[in-house]
Amino acid sequence: MKHKLILFIAILGCVISSCKDLQLDPKGILGEPELFGTAFGVKKYFTGIYFKLPIEDFIYYANGTGNPNNGYQPGNNNSWQAYKNSLDQMCGQTFGWNVAMGNGFGYWPYDNIRLVNVFINNFPAYKDKYDVATYNSLLGEARFLRAFFYEGMAKRYGGVPIVTEVQDPVNGDPAVLNVPRNTEYDTWKFIYADLKFAMDNMVATSESGRANKYVAAALMSRSMLYAGRSAKYTQYLGFSTEAAVQGGFAGMDPAKANEFFQYSYDAGKIVEQGPYSLYTKNYPDKATNFANLFLDKSSPETMFSKGYDGQTYGHCYDALMLPNPDFSSFVGTEAGPTLDIMQKFDFPALTDADGKPVRFTNRSDIKNAMEPRLKGTCYFDGDVVRGKTFSIQRGVYVKFTGPASDAKNGSNAAAVNATSNRILGNKGDKYQGVFVTGDHGFFSGRSAENNAMMGAYIRKYIDPALSAAQANVNKSSQSWVVFRLGEIYLNTAEAAYELGLRSEALDYIEKIRVRAGCLVTRPTLDQSVSSTYGYPIEKSLQFIRDERARELYVENQYWWDIRLWRIADQVLNLYYPHALTCYYVFDEGKYIYLDEINRDNRSISAQKRAAYEPIPQGEINKNKNLLPQNPLY
Amino acid sequence: MKKIFYLVIGATLLSLASCNKIDNWDEPGSRLHGNVIDSYTGTNLVMDQNDWQIRIIDRTWEQKNKTVATYQSIPVQKDGVYNNSKLFSGTYDMIAYDGPFWPVDTIKGVVLGSETQQDFTVKPYLQVVDATATLGGTALAPTLTFTCNVKAPLITGLPNLYEVRPFLSLTTFCGNSNNINIGDYNTAQSSTSATASAKRSINRTWAAELTARGLPANSEKIPYTMGPLLVKPGYTYYVRVGANVNALSRRYNYSPIVKVVVP
Repeated sequence: MKHKLILFIAILGCVISSCKDLQLDPKGILGEPELFGTAFGVKKYFTGIYFKLPIEDFIYYANGTGNPNNGYQPGNNNSWQAYKNSLDQMCGQTFGWNVAMGNGFGYWPYDNIRLVNVFINNFPAYKDKYDVATYNSLLGEARFLRAFFYEGMAKRYGGVPIVTEVQDPVNGDPAVLNVPRNTEYDTWKFIYADLKFAMDNMVATSESGRANKYVAAALMSRSMLYAGRSAKYTQYLGFSTEAAVQGGFAGMDPAKANEFFQYSYDAGKIVEQGPYSLYTKNYPDKATNFANLFLDKSSPETMFSKGYDGQTYGHCYDALMLPNPDFSSFVGTEAGPTLDIMQKFDFPALTDADGKPVRFTNRSDIKNAMEPRLKGTCYFDGDVVRGKTFSIQRGVYVKFTGPASDAKNGSNAAAVNATSNRILGNKGDKYQGVFVTGDHGFFSGRSAENNAMMGAYIRKYIDPALSAAQANVNKSSQSWVVFRLGEIYLNTAEAAYELGLRSEALDYIEKIRVRAGCLVTRPTLDQSVSSTYGYPIEKSLQFIRDERARELYVENQYWWDIRLWRIADQVLNLYYPHALTCYYVFDEGKYIYLDEINRDNRSISAQKRAAYEPIPQGEINKNKNLLPQNPLY
Repeated sequence: MKKIFYLVIGATLLSLASCNKIDNWDEPGSRLHGNVIDSYTGTNLVMDQNDWQIRIIDRTWEQKNKTVATYQSIPVQKDGVYNNSKLFSGTYDMIAYDGPFWPVDTIKGVVLGSETQQDFTVKPYLQVVDATATLGGTALAPTLTFTCNVKAPLITGLPNLYEVRPFLSLTTFCGNSNNINIGDYNTAQSSTSATASAKRSINRTWAAELTARGLPANSEKIPYTMGPLLVKPGYTYYVRVGANVNALSRRYNYSPIVKVVVP
């Protein structure tokens, strides 16, 4: 017993003396000193934030009610339905699945802004670990990221609360936590201040997917153009009695417009000092060149892109933009281009001087007079990709002797469209030995999905290197081009024109149109005023806006453009997308193309209130200082 | 055995004790109704069913719960009447918001008891008068041609004249919220002549439209003709014409509904 006791005491003594202080820092966790104390740590911290930037890319959902599957979906690897509900589908740029016009989805990224504010407020403590240039560049990059989040909100809501401190949600004073909305003017100026610092301090070169001072200038060019438009055109909406407008939360004094246009113009000039140039590698084939601009990861025109590797994170663009089974191994096409956008480019006449449909010997002859940029943007009958040829036809007319207007835009009530004269059908159907439709459409027995309802398919961003078997869910790895020099030229052109520098504006348009292969590369300056949209606009400025629609087609820009020009409710006022439909005229042995209203008679309307999205009601319930709500909500 | 018995009794008593919460809120039963009166004619404003709504905000609930209330909407019917008999009593603010008339003030402090009537008198932006719908075409392909005159009682500060539009319906409800959606009818024609083959798009001030149409500057009415538009033989339609200005949601002012029987 005594031995046991001594042994016990001895062991106890050892144990007690080995009790050390356990307040040790865990060695495996990266805390603030590790993340902010080294450039690599900062990069790690920023990577998570880049991932969440509001970039409307392949997998962006257009509308919704706060459902987590709507809007931006960082890291979501099963968002194939986003192609049905895309932004371009919602605003009538493409036609396919029916997407209801939505109010938006309550984008309110103050949690991400907090991550950036933590950095901006705490980083100065580590200043001595860096040389001055690197320190300032990293701070500039943080302010670029913050400006990106605020731009995502400003273009939706107008004025939002500007938060630069890291708030204490537990012990903070509720009066301070309930931040009020700032005015729209102050919000855009805040974005300007952050981006100006970024432009002045960031390094000039960066790895792919990371920003540099020119990327900050690109965001400045785009966001200040939006601000200038909002300042200049909101007054025409007729909202002057609304509380949000009277308080300056939605809309600004039109006299401020030129201030923002000047910021945009100056930023565009800075971008031009960078190592960027328009993509011309595949000249003289300007159609292929325009298509490759989006696929070539070493393109000198791409300034900032968002990457996918097709394995951990892929997207479904190839699977869902071309028909199954010849070009895709998944569901097939969810969207097609409208005739309205096709005819904005250089496009052949569909009717002759007497109003009768032009006769084509072959279906694909229609491409002969098409602008190369249109051929690089869309696939038409006769184009070849993935070893197969597109074959698109709607039906057969037994006879078609009159003018195109006899067909009444495809209406079933027109006499020439009686079932005895206009033969429609499905794959494999024949009329007296002749196939009624093409292999890929347009089939009368199918819905819009996997059916060539618009008469053409989208080519932009399609990766021809994939086989049909590889075009499947999440296997696409094209990067999404966030900023490219082409867009900056268009931004500068518009800003310059608004500032009165008309000839210089047309210089930029000329560069774009030369690259596009247009017939007329420099339009004549036309200052005559039209008022299609209820406010005066010079014809050449309208041309610049149209050039934007052509160049940036299906890059998720159009919706923001028509909203910020304050014409969304007029452009989309019972807008019926039209289709390019090809028919074989049996008694002549030739083909004609008609302009038809889409078969489903579907129209798209945006309400005037779509110029602003509503501040999310859930946020107002938590903080009533966010009132007044935006107009008409 | 006894233990089990007492256990069962105890459990039953406990479960009964927890079922004491009955929904003791009163069913909402306040009735709020009224008319939207056209100040020029003195009778109810001619509308389409649920084109726009009266907004009401429950201030009593807001104060009680120290929060921000969202508005509720009461649809306005086609005869200019609104009616809701399932509201909670309290004190409300009411706004005749976003209708086809000049803005009116919010009416504050409306107390809802068992029944409250609150009328609104409004000044419509436009009046659509002398409207006709004439049958034409052939027996197999009949058409309708619409004509009307548009008047604007108050021109100073009037937003842009926006559209004049024909509406076709198979039921007695006809207008922007109840119509047959036909591409032919709804494809906007913008021109400066009196006739158009479908919906007329204008988007000019009253004075500019008079100038564009070559009418004298003090004209009271502007005539419009739309059509001929296809209809189907053997059907009975209810038709009317609407016109709007570019204010808020661009609600329409209408002509009376006309019944057209196509032989």
